[in-house]
Amino acid sequence: MSADTKFHMHHDSPEQVGRRERLGVRLLIVADGAFVFGMIFSYFYLRNLNANNGWIPKGGHHLAASTGWVIVLPLIVAAIVHKLGSRQMASFKNISIITLIALIVGLYLQWKQLAHMPFQVDGDSGKVFGFEGSYSSSWVLIAGANMFHYILATFISLGLVIRARRAEVDPILEKWRLRTAGSWFTWIAISGIACAITTSII
Amino acid sequence: MAPTPGEKLTNFFKRRDVIIASALGVAITALTVIIGGWWYTKWMPTALSTDMKSIERLMVIFTWISAPVCGTVVAITLYTFFNRHKGDTPPEDGPAIRTRGPIVILWSVVSSMLCLVAVVYGLIELNSAEGKAQADAPHAMIVEVTGNQWVWNFHYPAQDVTTDKLMLPINQPVEFRIISADVNHSFWPVQLGVKADANRYQVTLADTTPNKLGTIDVKCAELCGLYHAYMETTGAVTTRADFNNWVTAQGGHTA
Amino acid sequence: MTTLDHHATTRPIPNPKKSLITKLNMGTGMVVGIIFALATYYLINPHVDQSVAQEYNRQLLATMFMWSLGFMIGIGAFIGPFRWLIGKDLTDEENLYLAGDGQGIKRYFKYCTDHKVVGIQYLVGVMTMLGVGGTLAMMIRTNLIMPGSKFVSPIIYNSLVGLHGITMIIAMIIVATGPFGNYIMPIMIGAADMAFPRLNALSWWVLFTAIPVLCSAWFLGGIPTGWTAYAPLSVQAGPGMNAFIATIIIFAISTAVAGANITATVVAMRAKGMSWNRVPIFVVGATVSVALAIPAFPTFMVSMIMTGLDRTFATTFFDANFGGSGWLYAHLFWIMGHPEVYVILIPGVAALMEIAPVFVRKPLFSYNAAIMGFAGIAGLSVLVWAHHMYMSGWMPMLNGPFMVTTEMISVPTGLIFLVLLGTLWRGRPWMKLPMLGVYAFLWNMLVGGITGLYLSDVPADNYLHGSMYVTAHFHYTLMGAALTGALAGLAFWFPKMTGRMLNERAGYISFWFVQIGFQILFLGMFIAGAEGQPRRVSDYAKTFATSNMVSTIGAYMIGIGMIVLLWAVVHSWRFGKIAPMNPWGSKTLEWTVPYPVPLVNFDTPPVVTSDFYGYGKAEK
Ligand SMILES: [Cu+2]
Ligand SMILES: [Cu+2]
Repeated sequence: MSADTKFHMHHDSPEQVGRRERLGVRLLIVADGAFVFGMIFSYFYLRNLNANNGWIPKGGHHLAASTGWVIVLPLIVAAIVHKLGSRQMASFKNISIITLIALIVGLYLQWKQLAHMPFQVDGDSGKVFGFEGSYSSSWVLIAGANMFHYILATFISLGLVIRARRAEVDPILEKWRLRTAGSWFTWIAISGIACAITTSII
Repeated sequence: MAPTPGEKLTNFFKRRDVIIASALGVAITALTVIIGGWWYTKWMPTALSTDMKSIERLMVIFTWISAPVCGTVVAITLYTFFNRHKGDTPPEDGPAIRTRGPIVILWSVVSSMLCLVAVVYGLIELNSAEGKAQADAPHAMIVEVTGNQWVWNFHYPAQDVTTDKLMLPINQPVEFRIISADVNHSFWPVQLGVKADANRYQVTLADTTPNKLGTIDVKCAELCGLYHAYMETTGAVTTRADFNNWVTAQGGHTA
Repeated sequence: MTTLDHHATTRPIPNPKKSLITKLNMGTGMVVGIIFALATYYLINPHVDQSVAQEYNRQLLATMFMWSLGFMIGIGAFIGPFRWLIGKDLTDEENLYLAGDGQGIKRYFKYCTDHKVVGIQYLVGVMTMLGVGGTLAMMIRTNLIMPGSKFVSPIIYNSLVGLHGITMIIAMIIVATGPFGNYIMPIMIGAADMAFPRLNALSWWVLFTAIPVLCSAWFLGGIPTGWTAYAPLSVQAGPGMNAFIATIIIFAISTAVAGANITATVVAMRAKGMSWNRVPIFVVGATVSVALAIPAFPTFMVSMIMTGLDRTFATTFFDANFGGSGWLYAHLFWIMGHPEVYVILIPGVAALMEIAPVFVRKPLFSYNAAIMGFAGIAGLSVLVWAHHMYMSGWMPMLNGPFMVTTEMISVPTGLIFLVLLGTLWRGRPWMKLPMLGVYAFLWNMLVGGITGLYLSDVPADNYLHGSMYVTAHFHYTLMGAALTGALAGLAFWFPKMTGRMLNERAGYISFWFVQIGFQILFLGMFIAGAEGQPRRVSDYAKTFATSNMVSTIGAYMIGIGMIVLLWAVVHSWRFGKIAPMNPWGSKTLEWTVPYPVPLVNFDTPPVVTSDFYGYGKAEK
């Protein structure tokens, strides 16, 4: 490849690249939004249908509404801290750690909830276990999706923490990337709230 | 002097391509109307209920609604196809027509009207079917249909009969209460023009009034596993007397 | 990424020849993938009792996902994200290497970010899938040649139907946006590459990992549920179902990534001067299609995760004993499933709209009507899903509204017809192979559209639902219309993608065999449906013997035609006549670049001053 054509690979400004990346992430958020919509739709659909009275069968368990909100809190903290922190590149270096810690705490809490959920019942053979009914099934799906959100966000946050400590990044582009990451953090906070509202309605 | 709109229109209909394409269009529309009149009834099995009859009529009328669309599309494609350019080099450029506002509007309006006719007609049919079902409900004979992998079972609660043959007395409104014992099935007594899914723990209702004597083929119209193709049985629309005899022979009681 | 940090170049450059990325390719991907899969399978093995369905399902699903993950690690998909994580972004040289610079044929087997390489990978992948799906179709039709299911057992028959269905659906979703959306579209809009080249490679290679997963279904007892995979049948189904679930989840990831990438490319990377009203119609169609897929496919993914959970951990989403419902599955499935029909159809139509003006030498008739048609179809398509559930009993009182929305789609569809017919009218079409596709499309879409009208009507659906009539209808729209459009696109863009002309003689022979066979096949199937034959049956009553025999004869004609086409493509690719730069005299940008297309497509970024349909002489 000649130096000439190489030149054209550079013709996009960091500004353009940054905008483009944010657009891409927002489009992926639309996809994730459809996923979250699918889960919430399912939750209410099954709840209203209550086939064979199996939403929460006789003697079944359900979780307090606060369980969902506990998971959202770190998300909200992370999103807000990130938003405030990313205004100043200089201070972001230190503030980014708070975001990361909040996310790790949330991830841990979500993991704990999943590991200790009270729904699993023994099946016929004693080997198989199952879920009590459609409430517990829907709950575990939503918790799993939150878990997935957390893992992705933690990865991003970790990257931002590390990158903030390296000087070799293009400051303009990096600023855009912080905003792009902010789109994701904000979205998972919103989706977390939507899920918490959902699971509050038992 | 610029031609007036009236002149423009007459000139338009004097053009060779317009004349030929219009003639083709009319011919194809007429052909579709004629074929549409008998095409579906030729293949569909004998109707044993008014529901099935109205489905047959609906197929005919919808074909007629689509006939002008069919005529227009086929006429233009045929005309331009036979007017094609032959050779290995691209043809000369045609006229640079970017759009024709009135044509786009006319086309949208006409297709919306045709669509509206179809919608209204469908809604009326749907409504009358529902109205009839409601009127018939109080004196309908109940048949509980259960789909199992891979057989149909029919239970007549009033007669206390359980069977795998669908027997129905003529001119007696029936209400099917359909349920599944396992996966989804779809209850399809073909000649009655009725279809309803069988779901687990959810009763689906369907109703009809057989009005002609004949055999019924009962099929499953939802893939339900290994022997889906063989999940079929037969039945019949019989006279009231024959039906009563059949019930007695099955050990049930006639009202 | 095409665009590199300015600062990055100041860093000392590691010799790319020695770095890890030069060592990774499809082979290392396979090796790591297989190691991951085997390790997963055998590490779990002591802990599961394979006779317990749920435990076995868990083992199989884990194995399949680990294969996919391992392959992606092995081919180097995570190098970029990892380097981002540790703050050592890929350098110019490395990005150039990833773009396949100077690597010849090898780059087709690497994690190559060049959109033209990805386009060819998609093309070969799609052709393979169509070949497999078509062979399965031939087997289905062979078994149905006469009553009595003489050739295969019901279990094999059901597997054939399920595999044929899902293979073809996946192939059709990517048939136009995969090869042409990747290879042609960026050049068409004057871009140097896609917006996210690494994601582009990701979307293809992730999809690639789904192929062996899907094939494994055959050896695990097949997919006995049809492509719709209705629950609770799918929960009850054997181990082959796991392959279906894994395939769909992987595929949904691939489409989300590809959809975001294509949409972002069109939004953000158009050449200077290419305002929205100058964007070539194929680009618009491809974008509408993938943009519609972005919100649509995740609900399918949700439904598959639920099915997977029901099968592995005994959740009860679809188990009505414990509060679940098969209706929920049907909703989630069709909320994706109906938009998906248009995800398939629109790019095919758009390709034909791109083709027609070139061969008629007239401007595209009413560009705005085309846009409104696409927008109307896409908008309405998300409001019609329950027309697949008229008979399900979920809520009969909503059948009326869904009937109305469904029939309303005929209006924007009418606009599509208007655009094509208006372009043809008063023109003298140059009847080359791509142009024939326009004609075949118009006829097939007419039949598909009109038969769709009956099916959208609730009372008529009482008879037609679940019958062979439905099968014939959607084959007219998906195969007769969408695949015809995509094949016309192949004939049209073949010279640009391969540098050679597609053998015309063979192309014509194939075209007529396929199209005539197609009419025969589905005429027979329409009749079988009207006579009352349910769909997806391995066997049928004697009443349907004639119509099925006719169908099978038509199917064999398609088979012959497709083999001829395959030969033509393979032969022309190697030995075809060298194509001139612009064999059809088209005005769009992709015909202004030579073959082979340079790595960054254009020596100087093009500037657009008008739209691309300036054909024709001014009217008198
Ligand atoms: Cu069945
Ligand atoms: Cu649909």
